[in-house]
Amino acid sequence: MSEPTTGRTEPGASAEPDVPEVSGTTGRTEAGASAEPDFLKVSGLHAGYGRARVLQGLDFSVARGEVCAILGPNGAGKTTTLRALSGMAGGRGSVTLDGTELLGRSPEQAARLGVAHVPEGRGTFNDLTVEENLRIGAHLRTARRWRGRAERAAVTADLERIYGHFPRLRQRSRQAAGSLSGGEQQMLAIGRALIRRPALLLLDEPSLGLAPLVTRELFEIVRAVNEEERTTVVVVEQNARLALDIAHRAHVLEAGRLVLSGPAARIREDGHIAEVYLGVPAHARKAG
Amino acid sequence: MSAVTDLLQQVVEGLGSGAVYASLALALVLIHRFTGIVNFAQGELAMLSTYVAWQLVASGMPFWLALPVTLAVSFAGGMLVERIVIRPVQGAPELTVVIVTVGLFIFVNALAGLIWSFTVKDFPRQFPDGGLDLAGVRVDWSTLGILGVVAVVMGLLYLLFQHTSSGLVMRAVACNPSSARLSGIRVGRVLMLGWGLAATVGAVSGVLVAPVLFLEPNMMGGVLIYAFAAATLGGFDSPVGAVVGGLIVGVAETLTGAYVDVIGADLKVGVPLMIILAVLLVRPQGLFGRAAVVRA
Ligand SMILES: Nc1ncnc2c1ncn2[C@@H]1O[C@H](COP(=O)(O)OP(=O)(O)O)[C@@H](O)[C@H]1O
Ligand SMILES: [Mg+2]
Repeated sequence: MSEPTTGRTEPGASAEPDVPEVSGTTGRTEAGASAEPDFLKVSGLHAGYGRARVLQGLDFSVARGEVCAILGPNGAGKTTTLRALSGMAGGRGSVTLDGTELLGRSPEQAARLGVAHVPEGRGTFNDLTVEENLRIGAHLRTARRWRGRAERAAVTADLERIYGHFPRLRQRSRQAAGSLSGGEQQMLAIGRALIRRPALLLLDEPSLGLAPLVTRELFEIVRAVNEEERTTVVVVEQNARLALDIAHRAHVLEAGRLVLSGPAARIREDGHIAEVYLGVPAHARKAG
Repeated sequence: MSAVTDLLQQVVEGLGSGAVYASLALALVLIHRFTGIVNFAQGELAMLSTYVAWQLVASGMPFWLALPVTLAVSFAGGMLVERIVIRPVQGAPELTVVIVTVGLFIFVNALAGLIWSFTVKDFPRQFPDGGLDLAGVRVDWSTLGILGVVAVVMGLLYLLFQHTSSGLVMRAVACNPSSARLSGIRVGRVLMLGWGLAATVGAVSGVLVAPVLFLEPNMMGGVLIYAFAAATLGGFDSPVGAVVGGLIVGVAETLTGAYVDVIGADLKVGVPLMIILAVLLVRPQGLFGRAAVVRA
């Protein structure tokens, strides 16, 4: 049994040089391995809150069209990583999306550069209807141009696309979003992000607080969207199995450092790692 | 005059002054909804706008031209206040923000006194004298005019918020600013627009009330207290509540002034304070407001 690489990789070198490319038999293989492996490139990323330093130098890349899972225990810094990518947390180092630096941007600038962050807590606009929530998502697509008839038609088409993914949202389109169930609000949050055809979709614990069946449905939709629209996705999850099912690559974060990186299929099939994610504490693993 | 027509007469007059309170309350509610800030300087900003209108008319501009110019100036002024005075303390502890708006109150008041002095100025009447006689109840044109203006303002705000995409964006910012940011909305600009809008609505109240109260730097002090009562009664988050609350407060004021002898004209200002107290005790969220929810 070959061990996946552990420990940090050298900044500047391509993300995980030592991990052999294994095509998973049941999982997904590398997407777009030929084209743009560094579509999202994170190098030497340090981030935190005031004096609390959370991320201690992350390096990883996500290819265009790929689903990347970031796994790890509570408090590891997964949310902080996504926040640094979307401008919600400041950081040092470098994060480029399609060659454009993202660090030092405000959330609204990052959004305008194509980053769609579905945050912890889902960011629902409670007082707005479901459809108005989606229109806010489409705001960027319409804000810059004169809102003529063609524009309205485009928004309608976008809404249809989202309702196609999430038929339940169509049924509730006139309802106040605050009255939706947790699962529906998560669908709405993802729909609000997808309606603007983001270059990069960031999902923070989409399974949190949802029934297993709903979660499964949600992840299947994310997989479908990734396949149909070639959206690049970074998904953060504590539920490792679910995330590994839809991811091409995965990284494990612990105490602000990547401790393991590799193809999702490999990580999923590795009994040792599975054991770790079934609750064996990190120190026990290190001792073993 | 029968007791009933006398009562109706008082109600009509109450509605007239209530409409003025309603428009200033509307301005208070707009700011509160957008920023969670209670703007103690709202009345003073309205007073400043009224002086702008007075100055324009005094220098020869016809009133109905001076009005839109004043509203535009007020809009720009409101945006400026947000950017210069409020933005730096946005997110600071509530007491800090309160003190800043109280400081703005004092500053604007003094500024107006400095420029225009504290002597009372006659403000042009916008509506003709006279009125209608409805079965013995006299309804002045000015009362009808004020009610009409407030109805128009209300209608325009409704159209803006419910039927335009800018209004949708503004509601989204009021509802969840951090999520709005993640959607690419430039929240700072939207907040500036919100303050501009509120200052414009406030300016309407100042211009409406100036012919009645006469223009001087302290003109809006009393009106602000009534507007606070109106906003508290209606619910500090509800524009509809502000208007309904304003009308109720106006009617309550004239009725108690006319019928409750111990109160009379001198103690009338106690009425809004009692309303504020009663609402806070019985239904703190007001008639149209929602009970406070903890935002995640
Ligand atoms: N707003 C904040 N201010 C200060 N510390 C924070 C803040 N948010 C998170 N942290 C700390 O940063 C660390 C990583 O948090 P987070 O990125 O949310 O982890 P995860 O999402 O992996 O559970 C934790 O120790 C947490 O206590
Ligand atoms: Mg988290």
